[in-house]
Amino acid sequence: MRFFIQIVILAVFTFFLSACSSEQNIDNEKIKIATNSWIGYAPLFYAKETGELDKLGFSLITNVSLAEAADVYNVGKADMVTTTQHEYYTLKELMGDVTPVILLDRSNGGDMILSNVSLEKIKNAPHVTAYLEVDSINAELLQEFIEKNRIDQKKLSIINEDQQKIQDVQNTNEPTLIVTYTPYDVSLKRKGFREIVSTKDIHKLVVIDALCTRKKIIEQHKDRLAALKQVIDQKIEQIKRDPKRSFGYVKKYLGDMSYEDYLVSLQSIEWINHPSKELLEVIAKMGYKEKDLIR
Amino acid sequence: MKSLSIKSFALFATAVLFVVVAALFVNFYRTSKSNISSLVKESIQTKVLTLRHFLERNMHIDNANSIMAYMDNVVVTSKFISDIHIVTSDHKVVYVTDRDKIEKHPNIRCISIVNIAQADVFSQGCYSFSLRLFKGLKPYYYKVYVYTDTEYLDSLLNKQIRRYLIYFLIFGVLFALIAWFVFRLIVVKPLEKLRQYAYYSTKPPGTFLISEIESIRYSLMMTFKRLKKEQEELYKLSTQDSLSGLYNRLSLFDKVNWLIAQSQREKKRFALVFIDLDDFKNINDTRGHDFGDKVLQEVSHILLESVRENDIVARFGGDEFVVVLTDIEDDVTIINALERIKQKFANPIQIEGSSYSITASMGIAIYPKDGEDISTLLKNADIAMYTSKEEGKNTYHFFTESLNEIIEEKVRISKLMREGLHKGYFELYYQPKVEIESNRIVGCEALIRLHDPKGGIIPPDKFIPVAESDGFIIPLGEWIIQEATRQLQKWQEGALRDIKVSINISGLQFHDANLFGTLQKSIASIKVENLDIELTESVLMKDFEEKVELIERIKKLGVSFSLDDFGTGYSSLSYLKKIPFDTIKIDKSFIDDLQKPKEGEFVRLIVNIAKNLDLEIVAEGVETKEQLEILQQMGCDIYQGYLCSKPLPAAEFEELFESHKCNM
Repeated sequence: MRFFIQIVILAVFTFFLSACSSEQNIDNEKIKIATNSWIGYAPLFYAKETGELDKLGFSLITNVSLAEAADVYNVGKADMVTTTQHEYYTLKELMGDVTPVILLDRSNGGDMILSNVSLEKIKNAPHVTAYLEVDSINAELLQEFIEKNRIDQKKLSIINEDQQKIQDVQNTNEPTLIVTYTPYDVSLKRKGFREIVSTKDIHKLVVIDALCTRKKIIEQHKDRLAALKQVIDQKIEQIKRDPKRSFGYVKKYLGDMSYEDYLVSLQSIEWINHPSKELLEVIAKMGYKEKDLIR
Repeated sequence: MKSLSIKSFALFATAVLFVVVAALFVNFYRTSKSNISSLVKESIQTKVLTLRHFLERNMHIDNANSIMAYMDNVVVTSKFISDIHIVTSDHKVVYVTDRDKIEKHPNIRCISIVNIAQADVFSQGCYSFSLRLFKGLKPYYYKVYVYTDTEYLDSLLNKQIRRYLIYFLIFGVLFALIAWFVFRLIVVKPLEKLRQYAYYSTKPPGTFLISEIESIRYSLMMTFKRLKKEQEELYKLSTQDSLSGLYNRLSLFDKVNWLIAQSQREKKRFALVFIDLDDFKNINDTRGHDFGDKVLQEVSHILLESVRENDIVARFGGDEFVVVLTDIEDDVTIINALERIKQKFANPIQIEGSSYSITASMGIAIYPKDGEDISTLLKNADIAMYTSKEEGKNTYHFFTESLNEIIEEKVRISKLMREGLHKGYFELYYQPKVEIESNRIVGCEALIRLHDPKGGIIPPDKFIPVAESDGFIIPLGEWIIQEATRQLQKWQEGALRDIKVSINISGLQFHDANLFGTLQKSIASIKVENLDIELTESVLMKDFEEKVELIERIKKLGVSFSLDDFGTGYSSLSYLKKIPFDTIKIDKSFIDDLQKPKEGEFVRLIVNIAKNLDLEIVAEGVETKEQLEILQQMGCDIYQGYLCSKPLPAAEFEELFESHKCNM
């Protein structure tokens, strides 16, 4: 009888224990990455499509702009976010808990200013309409542009829109500046807008795309983040090796883009998953600490 | 280890079940809370995100008019959000849903929306986020506070808990009750029925649903059936006589005791008949015990057939039976029953192809007249039965008080004899035998006397039958032989050296295998020709050839034999022919009537036969001179009787011998 009672108590105890441990396992938790359609994030899209992200327990929340992705991260709906340094700074300013962990690419012409008139006409025009995502690297690119070309900011009529809407801007005779980035430039270029400056030309502006996350994620999921970094590296190599194949997987994330456009877009960025010492020194000054980066 | 009742076990199991279900409920509650919390968090995050996008696009610096209606709607339409505050970087409130209370809610602590994942949404009342707006390319910062309706959120959870708690309680209790009821119905009750059945072993319960319990019930039923059968057999064995099938002695005692109690209450009487088959020993001796058993079985049938159904017939032991006749009205009823038994016994029994006649002696004792308990009734019926035996067997006799007195006297004498043999209560008296011709005492007959310390001398006709009936005659006979030869040896050393002493040996003693040895031993130191043994005809009646052989053996020792009481029995001449008697003793009855012509002629005939056969002749019971003279004329050798002397103690006999005073 005693043995029987012991068995019953053990069973009940085991049951309670299992009930208590029914909380979600940290290792099985999905890590959500907020991102948007940027050619530099193609390795993430590629990994998602080939199922490697799922295997590692990562999911993507695709937004129309980096700002929106940052907002998603800001309200806690995402655990990681793809940012340029602009979003990184903004998030740091607004919420503090954000750290770049994986470097993806550096814009090498990928961010640009398009116009329907020449630079000279812009300079001389009394009034210029400027479309951009104000709360993004667009603003910094525009700022660099007007400073470099000594354009009076007061004559600029700033229209804050996300890139999804900006790509629908029609080409009128009014002098217009559109601050955009690939792949949104493709449709605008088709409408007759021409690139008058890009990050390729403005060496002072180094646009870094990175994956940022919270401290808690870094602490709890070191191994998974390392695995993610490996997958990203592999995908970058695969993209480089066989862009056509990669295009087949990532094209649905990049809007109305042809393979040729894809190849052009790839030319407008530089992969920095294995950054040079010089670059690390440059970005260190921007707040990207080498010790936080997963190598 | 203390055993646990099924009820306790069931309660314990139910309690465990209840705990398990409670644990399930707790687990369910926790999961529900977690799920609701996730949903609420998701919802708040989405609301905040939407709000943020709206504000980023639509809010103008220092002017909240454009967003006011939308913000109001957000609060009104949302169940979670109760208030929203938008505050500038210099703490100026630009929007508040409740315009009457523009102050921050003092008791509600705000956390950043980014930390919502770790927050308890049911108690956390406020979430904040920073908003960056641009005037041209210049940023401005606002803080947005979103207050949640914690009461509603809490109720959301509590409502669930209450609902499921009620479900749990209702279904839990209902389940426990049903489980208990079913368990009680199919396990507890059947087990209780089995317990009762195992205890009382009556009314086997019907079949049970649970196969294990059913197999126990079936096994119990089979066991009880077998036990009952064995019990019946044992009862039969304990109450019935295995040979006859009649009640045994133990059962008889039970039945009669019960009958006594009933008769006492109802003032009724009954008769207890003790039946002993006559000479049954002969059947066993001559036909074997198997045959004897068959006779007993047949007798049992006869007895059963002869009595009524409510009468009791029992085998008391050996060839003894007891019949109890109940509800008797008068002695005629008893006599009728006994006559029926006698009549049936009168028809020869057919056993193994041969017919055999049996008779029985019966004694009757009546309750309560002849005894108020079974022992007394049996004793008195036995006494009456012995009387029947004594009266010639094949008859019945009612117990009477006088019979009882006789038996009591017999018992007293028997006890006295046994005691007396060691204490010297016995003494041999010697009656002289006188030679008629010389008037000289030539011998004597040793006659036994018993001295009762309280009542004086008891004559032999009183104690010898008792001794013969209870077998005491054997040791007594041995004592007589030893004492007579001792006395003879003493006399042979003195003046009485030629005296011949006669001793009487009973029929029973003559059957005793030790007789020859005893005689042989006793005569070792005497002149054996002076010892004579007197035998009556009755001693010779049975097993004649064997006895002749024994007599011849004894005669070879030198002992002479006298045929005692000649003339009273068959007086068969063949005895005289076959047995080498030395002397014939004419019975006293002939001597008494000696003067009568017919009797006188008989005596003369006997004397002549003896003379012709060269046998010595002794006349017994001679009391007068006339008798002596006639005997002398007839040529009789020796006489014995009161004319000379009554039987005398040894010392007096010696004096008589020495005085030569017989018939002087």
